[in-house]
Amino acid sequence: MLSRAYLIIGLLIIGGYGLLALTGTELGRAHREKIPADVRQSPGGYRSFHSTSIWHSGFRGGK
Amino acid sequence: MSPVQASCPACGAPIQFKIGSSIVVVCEYCNSVVARGDRNLEDLGKVADLVETGSPLQVGLRGIYRGVPFELTGRAQLGHPAGGLWDEWYAAFQDGRWGWLAEAQGRFYLTFPGSIPQQALIEPFDSLELGGPVRSLPLQVPLIVAEKGTARMLGAKGEIPYKITPGELYDYADLSGPHGEFATLDYSEQPPLVFIGRELHLSELGFPPDVVPPEREAHRVTAAQLNCPQCGGPLELRAPDKSERVTCPNCSSLLDVSQGKLAFLKALDPRVKPFIPLGSIGEFFGTRLMLIGFMVRSVEFEGVRYYWEEYLLYEPQTGFRWLVRSDDNWNFVETVPPASVMVSGERAVIYNGKRFKLYQDAAARVEHVYGEFYWKVMTGEVVRAADYIAPPLMLSKEESFVLQLPQPGAKDKKPKAVRAGEINWSLGTFVRPQEVERAFGISGLPRPSKVAPNQPYPYKKIYKYWGLLLLAVIAMAIVVAATTRPQKVFEQTYTLDPIKSQDDSQVRFTEPFELKGRRNIVVTAAASVDNSWVEIDGDLINQATDESEAFTLPIEYYYGVDDGESWSEGSRSPDIYLSAQPAGTYILGFEARWEKFQQPMAVTIRVEQGVFNGGYIVLVLILLSLFPIVMLIYHWRFEARRWADSDYSPYQSSS
Repeated sequence: MLSRAYLIIGLLIIGGYGLLALTGTELGRAHREKIPADVRQSPGGYRSFHSTSIWHSGFRGGK
Repeated sequence: MSPVQASCPACGAPIQFKIGSSIVVVCEYCNSVVARGDRNLEDLGKVADLVETGSPLQVGLRGIYRGVPFELTGRAQLGHPAGGLWDEWYAAFQDGRWGWLAEAQGRFYLTFPGSIPQQALIEPFDSLELGGPVRSLPLQVPLIVAEKGTARMLGAKGEIPYKITPGELYDYADLSGPHGEFATLDYSEQPPLVFIGRELHLSELGFPPDVVPPEREAHRVTAAQLNCPQCGGPLELRAPDKSERVTCPNCSSLLDVSQGKLAFLKALDPRVKPFIPLGSIGEFFGTRLMLIGFMVRSVEFEGVRYYWEEYLLYEPQTGFRWLVRSDDNWNFVETVPPASVMVSGERAVIYNGKRFKLYQDAAARVEHVYGEFYWKVMTGEVVRAADYIAPPLMLSKEESFVLQLPQPGAKDKKPKAVRAGEINWSLGTFVRPQEVERAFGISGLPRPSKVAPNQPYPYKKIYKYWGLLLLAVIAMAIVVAATTRPQKVFEQTYTLDPIKSQDDSQVRFTEPFELKGRRNIVVTAAASVDNSWVEIDGDLINQATDESEAFTLPIEYYYGVDDGESWSEGSRSPDIYLSAQPAGTYILGFEARWEKFQQPMAVTIRVEQGVFNGGYIVLVLILLSLFPIVMLIYHWRFEARRWADSDYSPYQSSS
């Protein structure tokens, strides 16, 4: 019973991998949003749009 | 040759030698054994009446063995040293040969006189060792001594190809080969006679289909109703033609059975009773067997006595089988030819190509008996018992001992236990209590709390599946890697002017580029950083829908020398994998900050599609291996529990 359950789960994992490979899907949270053309084209618009985005890390680097 | 008619020298009744090569004939009227010599008939004395053993054979029966017709012309009954008797049938073959067909406990052995050129060199009876090889026989298959003892001629009937003497005692040894080969050394003459053949099934003898009488079916075995000589209560013999011992269900006396007569031997503990009632019929491996006997046996380890139960099962065609209950674990047991088991080192044997490891080796003592038995069992009887395991199988060896009385005048007056009699190998198959319940149609058998010595590990298939799944993943990875064609869809280097501070940033948008659907996207940002960093916050933007997917790529590369050892960390060209987007035209916008903001910064942005992501293969392999690794630990603990009661456990430290 347990062996069969493992086999089924294992096949599902492999199947899942196959699905990812076939569809070009990458795991991880996708940060999706609309960035209208006027935002992109206005001077400073994209920067201010970015600075209010919550997902950008604010990385400052350094060892 | 035509039959020879004569008169019995004892009673004058007519006798007939039908077979030209027969030596004696037993008078049907007075049981005298009449031998024919060169001139006269000789009266060798009277034999006892034959005991009804329920044999399916009879004198006069015709059969065919390997294309040669034969007739059973005679029968003898010989007393076994451990009690009981066995039948020997004499088969006159049409080609002039005589065959000896021995029948014991439902098994048949057909042998023919062997012509051994070096017969005189056959080992003396006393030098034969139980379980040891008989090297003097020039046979291709090595035979070992399975049994040695002294037989007594009890009764006979019909025509027999050798001279028998009523009551005569003679030594014999039965030899066994690995594939049913069988031989007997008969020490009634010097040099000993050799009979060579094999064990066979009744169906191989070409008897008519009706040779098996209908009354030999298991449900008809309950034949004899008797009264206990101790208490007078009624008791039933379920295998009256085979039983040598029976216990009275009323007063628990152990009784000897001799030709249908009962004799009191000793009183037994009436409290010990079997879980499954005697007389129950259970079906195992397609055979319906009746439970006729029950015994408790024990072994002692380090001063502690451990007990188990053995249930004797019987079916006339199949013979005897055992059901053994130990620590509430069950085994279905049947005997195997001793020579089919080969010793492999000090602690292992090989049977049927399978290696069995020694689990236990001890003196087993009969503590209690109940019901019927085919040998003269006594409480206190001791055999040397060794168990070897290869789950779900267990091979058990039992060597019998006989008590040898001291010679008259000897200083030591105590009887000695001498390895003698028989060596028996039996094969046990693990059965779960549920299967025993199902077989007998009962319920409520206690469930085991311990792992049985030969209990199969139930999850072995997981390893097989593990291997198959890993192979499948690797094969799939090879296919995916081989069929994936990475394609660069955009690459450009941007020189960014200095900025005011680290909080300031530069924004750039790439030229439009085309992305295909259902292919992953890899964005790489590269810069020649040197112990510093650049931060890229970017968006992949669909020009038609304005939908964007954001990402961050920190470019940082540090290196140096600490305590004489050089080190480095980070990457000058990190990348990020993004999921496939709908096919269309895209641009990439990014905002850059960098540590050395006073200096210009050159950043290269590259976009590729259809890139093989090996990280997923590693992830899948890990996911598939987590559970089997846990089960490996469980398996190890299961095996440690299996060997916990063994003196030969590979899981115990040698401290």
